[in-house]
Amino acid sequence: MNGRWLLRRILSSLFVLAAVLVLNFLLFRLMPGDAVSTIIDPSFSPEAKANLRALYGLDRPLWEQFVIYVRQMLTFRFGLSFLSRKPVWDELLSRLPVTLTLTVSSMAISAALGIWLGVKAAVERGKLAERLVLRAGAVTSSFPGFFVQLVLLMLFARALPIFPLRGTLSVPPPDGFFNVLLDYGWHMALPVISLSLMGFGGWALYVRNLMVRALNEDFALMARARGLSRRRVLWHAFRTILPPILTIFLMSIPGLVSGAVITESVFSLHGIGTFLLEAISGSDYPSAGASFYLLALITVSCNLLADVAYGLVDPRVRVGGESR
Amino acid sequence: MKDILARKSVAAFIAIALIGTFAPALLPVSPYAFSGAPFARPVWWRSGSLSATREYDIKENETKIKWESLPPAIFSLTGEVTAKPEATVRIIWRTPEKDYLLDELNGSPRYWINQDGRDMIFKQRLGLPLISKSVDSLFPARGGYSLVIEGAERAELKLSLPGERQGLLGTDQRGRDVFTLLIYGIRTSLIIGVSATIVASLLGMAFGLAAGYIGGCCDAVIMRAVDILLSIPTLPILMVLAGIWGKGLWQLVLILSIFSWMGTARSVRALVLTVRESPWVESLRALGAGRGYILARHLVPETAPILLANIALGVPGAILSEAGLAFLGLSDPRLISWGRMLHEAHSFGAFTEGAWWLLLPPGLGIVTICLIFMDIGKFLEEKIDPRLSGK
Repeated sequence: MNGRWLLRRILSSLFVLAAVLVLNFLLFRLMPGDAVSTIIDPSFSPEAKANLRALYGLDRPLWEQFVIYVRQMLTFRFGLSFLSRKPVWDELLSRLPVTLTLTVSSMAISAALGIWLGVKAAVERGKLAERLVLRAGAVTSSFPGFFVQLVLLMLFARALPIFPLRGTLSVPPPDGFFNVLLDYGWHMALPVISLSLMGFGGWALYVRNLMVRALNEDFALMARARGLSRRRVLWHAFRTILPPILTIFLMSIPGLVSGAVITESVFSLHGIGTFLLEAISGSDYPSAGASFYLLALITVSCNLLADVAYGLVDPRVRVGGESR
Repeated sequence: MKDILARKSVAAFIAIALIGTFAPALLPVSPYAFSGAPFARPVWWRSGSLSATREYDIKENETKIKWESLPPAIFSLTGEVTAKPEATVRIIWRTPEKDYLLDELNGSPRYWINQDGRDMIFKQRLGLPLISKSVDSLFPARGGYSLVIEGAERAELKLSLPGERQGLLGTDQRGRDVFTLLIYGIRTSLIIGVSATIVASLLGMAFGLAAGYIGGCCDAVIMRAVDILLSIPTLPILMVLAGIWGKGLWQLVLILSIFSWMGTARSVRALVLTVRESPWVESLRALGAGRGYILARHLVPETAPILLANIALGVPGAILSEAGLAFLGLSDPRLISWGRMLHEAHSFGAFTEGAWWLLLPPGLGIVTICLIFMDIGKFLEEKIDPRLSGK
């Protein structure tokens, strides 16, 4: 891999992260009143108020607050939650697995399903399979995700009680690590399936278009003329469309994180999205800021990973670098 | 012009916009009125002979009621009775099995009646079991019932029996009419969707023109900002902003438009970059036209068609974002919107009740409006760029 190229990608990710930090800082300073006014009782004595402001560092100049804030964010010391008075980081850490399971597995499933169906549609051009895939893609990508999830929840958790109605684990949770894992999988099944269902359509449409174009190119014709098997021809064509596939992968990540946030709310999962929502409704600014930051961090790191993968699949990046 | 109107989605848009504007004034029920029993099914729901809502104006001394279904959800009697002070007024509910003395009044020329079958005092006075529903005892079987008023000179009472079926689309958890809410929701969706997209497109055009025409440092800063905004998840930011800045209609419009101008800016910039170097713009420059003049008189009209298609294609995104925020509970509770309806269905027991009529109407409404706008957008794009239509 080209070192300079990798460095550039990392720097660009850091730049986005810096922008997120500034945005996050400004968002919570621009609001009416200040962060502490929600926990200061009007009956407090002026000294107590001043003490509380000093405790949260609000008596210092803005730039100094910013430096402290950046240091806190980078070391994951988010301070205490206004609501639970517990460290925000502990709370976030306990909720991270759910959000990661949701985003990563639904990303993988929808991508795999979408690519498979897209390739299939491109191969079976003009047949029923293609029309079905195109129709399914158009329909699933135009429905609002949470509505489809609500309907699925109504169907498969209420009308036919196959899946649980809410929550991440049964109450009380079962004994034994394996049973807990099984229970977790049972609770996460519907959210992950529905989130993947919303995602695969766009993928299938996109991959089909790319694949149709690739199969019409001269090299594919040449490969067929040489008498290569269908499978080999497909593989050749597929390799050429990997870079644009990764681009779409990259671009779908922010939407996926947004989708995860709303999914957690639909299924009442114990994740970062619901934590953010609770924090916002309860004016718990440290928690809200920290969870927003963490969600952005997840997005940026997924972006970086996809970028690195881009370098692995695209020979032009791997060999040539920026000069090309 | 004719082929624009012939497109079905355009006609559907006009129809929906008209309904959203004028229908609220024509509806008989206020969307805030608790007009029925909670979770009443749609009136056309026929399973199991559920009772439909009925109301009786009672003026005579005996009102006969024929009851052919299961008990209603609520029994409530309100109004005014006048009588001679020395007379005793008795209000009796006569069922096929038993008479219930609802009220016995004397010593005053005028009485206000306000009886509700759900009240504990009501059940206690009638000797009904306190934990079960009083309507089960008041309507024990099918047959003839009557409300008898004895000893009154004049009665102006209203007996309302909100049923388990009411309205075109049933009622929600507070007994509000879902059809009315649905119609009022059109307006919110359209206003937020269209105005947020217009503001966003104007922002996008301004930034795109600036980036494309001025170029240099300005271009770099704007496009960097676009990249950043496109690579962080917008929903969490929108949630934070809605939580901090407020949840009203116009705040939502502002918040949504701040985070959806990026796509327009990109396409406007790309167009401006190609137009800027074209011979006619160059000759304009050679003729001494100022930057502002070229921008205002030549580049803006050039980008206008893209903008129009962008607006139509951007509306679904804005409507979905608004619905998402409202679904998360981050909208003004007094603002009736489809997202809010879904939020209330989700958090106030529609799932335990199996109340599909709270779920499908707003959801399908969102889907319909989004599909309409997507089709209009596609249509406009084809108009602007005939290559897209495949001819």
